[in-house]
Amino acid sequence: MNEERDRQVERRLDDLLAGVRREVPPSKDLWASIEAQLEPRASTRATPRTRGAWGYALAAGVGAVALTAAVTWELATRPSVPVAVNGSPAMVVPGATPEAGAPNRALLAAAFEAPQDARYRDTRAALEKTFRERLDLLAPDTRTRIEQNLAIIRQANDDIRAALAADPNSPLLQQLLESTWQQEIDLYTTVNRTTEPALPRSET
Amino acid sequence: MGTAPVIPFPDAQEREAADESRLVAEAAKGDVRAFERLYRKHAPRVNGLCLRLTGNAATAEDCVQEAFVAAWKALPKFEARAKFSTWLHRIAVNAVLARRRGLAAQLETTVDDEQYMLDRLGGHDAAPPIDVVQAIDALPPGARQVLVLVGLYGYSHEEAAKELGVAVGTCKAQLHRARQLLAARLDLKGDVA
Repeated sequence: MNEERDRQVERRLDDLLAGVRREVPPSKDLWASIEAQLEPRASTRATPRTRGAWGYALAAGVGAVALTAAVTWELATRPSVPVAVNGSPAMVVPGATPEAGAPNRALLAAAFEAPQDARYRDTRAALEKTFRERLDLLAPDTRTRIEQNLAIIRQANDDIRAALAADPNSPLLQQLLESTWQQEIDLYTTVNRTTEPALPRSET
Repeated sequence: MGTAPVIPFPDAQEREAADESRLVAEAAKGDVRAFERLYRKHAPRVNGLCLRLTGNAATAEDCVQEAFVAAWKALPKFEARAKFSTWLHRIAVNAVLARRRGLAAQLETTVDDEQYMLDRLGGHDAAPPIDVVQAIDALPPGARQVLVLVGLYGYSHEEAAKELGVAVGTCKAQLHRARQLLAARLDLKGDVA
């Protein structure tokens, strides 16, 4: 009788332990702090790519476009993530966008021609700040996937810039480069818009 | 009519492993972006491991940072035949343990384990029923570390004992003690009676 009860206790404990989450995203993005502590090594990126750079850059650009579309689809179809409705509270982005979810397209388009422009930098920084805050509101697996996708977009940007180093006058590469900036902004915008209004924070 | 030749297509796991090997190789050569992608992929599990081991979110995140910085330094020496995640987890466990002095003493079972748990949970009057994560966090450090490595993250007793620097027998005793303490604190015996 006691043995049977002990077995039940063991099984119950095993069930409870099986339900403990093994993956818990950090409460904030630790990458910037980690990156700041990385000692530089001789990098493969120090050598501009030449052979095959075009194909790689093209694939990277197309991949980034497809990826953002996938993220949009996932966010829009996930029941746990509320989709913004008309009339939801507006958020002021200093000096640029009237609403977090709908940045001024004309301004951004102009800014892409000169990404070092202060207005572009301010707009992008404000969107990214909101994006980082809103990421914390998403379910952990969605958040992880979005962060991975953002890393892929940035990787595409790096690859295209490497290709441009070998072929700086290529209009197609310029266009692809701009598309990755746009994809990054679109990703921020999509997340910001679909998490408006705020969700309660998920379990950590 | 002939049939089209079947072209073997790597399954998702193989592709993922190949992608990871490529990222590890690029990061080992100094590609920070490749290393960032490895961080994005592995941070949730490494943080989960550190969180369960330390029972403290802020300490766990410090350990995650230390682990990734240490991994970056050690990557050029990483042997490709090893599994990156296993290697990274080992570094993370070391980062956690490095923060704890006198670990050997903590791993000794003491008669005060139950009192230690009660104190961590706020005493007998801690009214709301606690969940399993709270109970794990409240375990004495030695018992918690063995339970997390063996009971949650699938280490063998030999692997856990090596990581923790204790005898295999100590490791087994700690796991048994941890399970007893959890069952008592979660009132599982009352549940199944």
